[in-house]
Amino acid sequence: MKPLRRLTSAARSATADLFADGYADVAVSPVHQRLPTNAARLATPSTARHLRQPRLQQLWYAAVFPELRDPHAPSTLQRLARCAQRFTSLVSIETPNALLLEIKGSVTLFGSLAALYADLDAAWSRLALSVMTAVAPTTLGALWLARAGQNACIEEAGALAAALAEVPLACTAWHPDRLRTLHSMGVTRIGELLRLPRAGLARRLGPSAVVDIDIALARQAAPRRAFVPRERFRERCDCESEIETVVLLQQAVQPLIEHCAQFLRERQAGVQALELRLWHRTLTDTRIHLGLANITGERGRLADVLEEKLHRLELPAPVKGMELRSGSLQPLSAASLDAFAGLRSGGRDTAPQLVERLSARFGETAVYGVATIAEHRPEAAWRRVHALRLIAARTDDLRAGDVSTGKGRERGGDADMARPVWLLAEPVMLCAMDPQHTQPLGWILDEGPERIESGWWDGKGVARDYYVARQMPGARQMHDAPQMYGARAWIFQERRTRGWYLHGVFA
Amino acid sequence: MPYSVVALADLLADARVWKLKDAPASASRPAWSTGLRALDARLPGGGWPTASLVEVLLETPGLGEVQLFLPALVECQRKTAGAAPWLVWIAPPHEPYAPALAQQGIELGRLLVVRPPSATEALWAAEQALSSGVCAAVLLWLQGTDDRWLRRLKLAAQEGGALGVLFRPERHRFESSPASLRLLMTKGQYETQLELIKVQGGRPGPVELHCP
Repeated sequence: MKPLRRLTSAARSATADLFADGYADVAVSPVHQRLPTNAARLATPSTARHLRQPRLQQLWYAAVFPELRDPHAPSTLQRLARCAQRFTSLVSIETPNALLLEIKGSVTLFGSLAALYADLDAAWSRLALSVMTAVAPTTLGALWLARAGQNACIEEAGALAAALAEVPLACTAWHPDRLRTLHSMGVTRIGELLRLPRAGLARRLGPSAVVDIDIALARQAAPRRAFVPRERFRERCDCESEIETVVLLQQAVQPLIEHCAQFLRERQAGVQALELRLWHRTLTDTRIHLGLANITGERGRLADVLEEKLHRLELPAPVKGMELRSGSLQPLSAASLDAFAGLRSGGRDTAPQLVERLSARFGETAVYGVATIAEHRPEAAWRRVHALRLIAARTDDLRAGDVSTGKGRERGGDADMARPVWLLAEPVMLCAMDPQHTQPLGWILDEGPERIESGWWDGKGVARDYYVARQMPGARQMHDAPQMYGARAWIFQERRTRGWYLHGVFA
Repeated sequence: MPYSVVALADLLADARVWKLKDAPASASRPAWSTGLRALDARLPGGGWPTASLVEVLLETPGLGEVQLFLPALVECQRKTAGAAPWLVWIAPPHEPYAPALAQQGIELGRLLVVRPPSATEALWAAEQALSSGVCAAVLLWLQGTDDRWLRRLKLAAQEGGALGVLFRPERHRFESSPASLRLLMTKGQYETQLELIKVQGGRPGPVELHCP
């Protein structure tokens, strides 16, 4: 107990004031607080005591909303946080039902703490929410006092321990197991907890409990991240008269795109997804989703992609209004600001633009890349790659053998036969079992066999002998077998049934 | 009968007369080696002409028509400094088999397959890809198309500096085509026969792929 007391009073020591001067510029914007560095934690005990003092005097206002319990609480809290941003720039959301506001700077702005307090109370009462508030120099101190419902207002760190002494332990919102342990020890209030030896407390409750106490008593800084409201572009526009054709719709949507591009430009941000909603008089609204190959805020590109999408749209009913919504805003990378990106290659597009335009017109499944998979079964040795993913992957990665060539080249080396350029979706039967002939009727086997036996473990096992073959001219064929005389084909014999199948074409 | 007698020199000076001997000089664009010496020797510039349209007429699919272009595509992807240029395959008749292409050395990360719903859409996609300037080559499979569209494709190829390859059935052989190079592939008795039907700046005729 004794050393704890001494530490608390040390908050006002001359050393701490010196440090506070040193960080005066940081104090201007409470958002960028300095975390206690590892060096400070590792310092010798005597210096560590001074270093552990909070470097800037802060005043925290905690607002606990005991009624917020429903699943909508997070979004409600965000709304409340946005509302609280009128009072200070540093608002932190404390799940599940509290807000923390740093109000040191605001006190001077509003004249006095009482004036600020009154304004805050008025703001909450307008929202008709029951709220419990407290002011303290530390985050957890304010929060615990607020939960205790004492409506305390403590401005000095030295007075914290006394104020917290009567606060019930349940107000710490610690894990129920820990509270039960403390209860069985006969500890019900924070004051009783502070009287226990620190080392024993850390051993019994875990180090995080001691850290919490340190934070509450201003022995350790606990910076909070400021709540930043999520920004999105969202604008609706009602049409003067109903729009019936796509051409008119394309014109009508232009101002929205213009505004969206402007919005993004002002924020130096881009989006990777947009949604256009069209409202009809009776039908449910039509939603058009736009995916972009990379983050962009250029008006031309947004308009291009939207135009392709609208071009293919069949309006189910006349449109009476529309709304353009952006996905989450992302900072523009330096590459996408490069004005000469398109000019260097001499063309008018960049690869992402081309892919975007094609996939906007044909759908995202109709534009794709292919990649190899290290697998012996021919039909399982490749896969489709989403075109936008292909764009995102850098060439260097691809050359290193991530999605594409590396493994294929290894496997396709000397050991294996050449593979055909076309692979049929399903093997086509050439002829059934023929015990008298070792080769299919009407075919000449040029190369082979290459035996492929694999996949017994997943139920799709194959046991095949592959050959490169040519069809003989004029040979009698099964009536529905493909006529491909003159072409080099990749055929195999199923080793169990002895049947012959066509699987690929060397085009 | 009255003949208007024109001096040969005047006739040759007429801009409308196209002279075979000037053609190779005008084709100063780089060409990509086909990988086949016999074919290179027959093509002006010694390879596939870039920034132009090549038309391949097929008696039947599977005659090695893609194989004809693969060495050049690999070369152009490898030689280009920086990021490899894109290859776009539009409406291929089957799935391009990734292991085969990787085996040949194609940079799969720069290969795009497009499956448009109709032939007109395929032509539109080809035009977009050719003129974009990011593609080295655009391969397009079609059953039939009109002259006007082919002209657009050729212009797009020139604009974007890409090689456009159009695969069509043999029945279009006698239609006029703006392609700067037209090839006919037939199955022949023992092996695929290649014939140049139209070569801007070269002589048409059959090509002996495997010299005896």
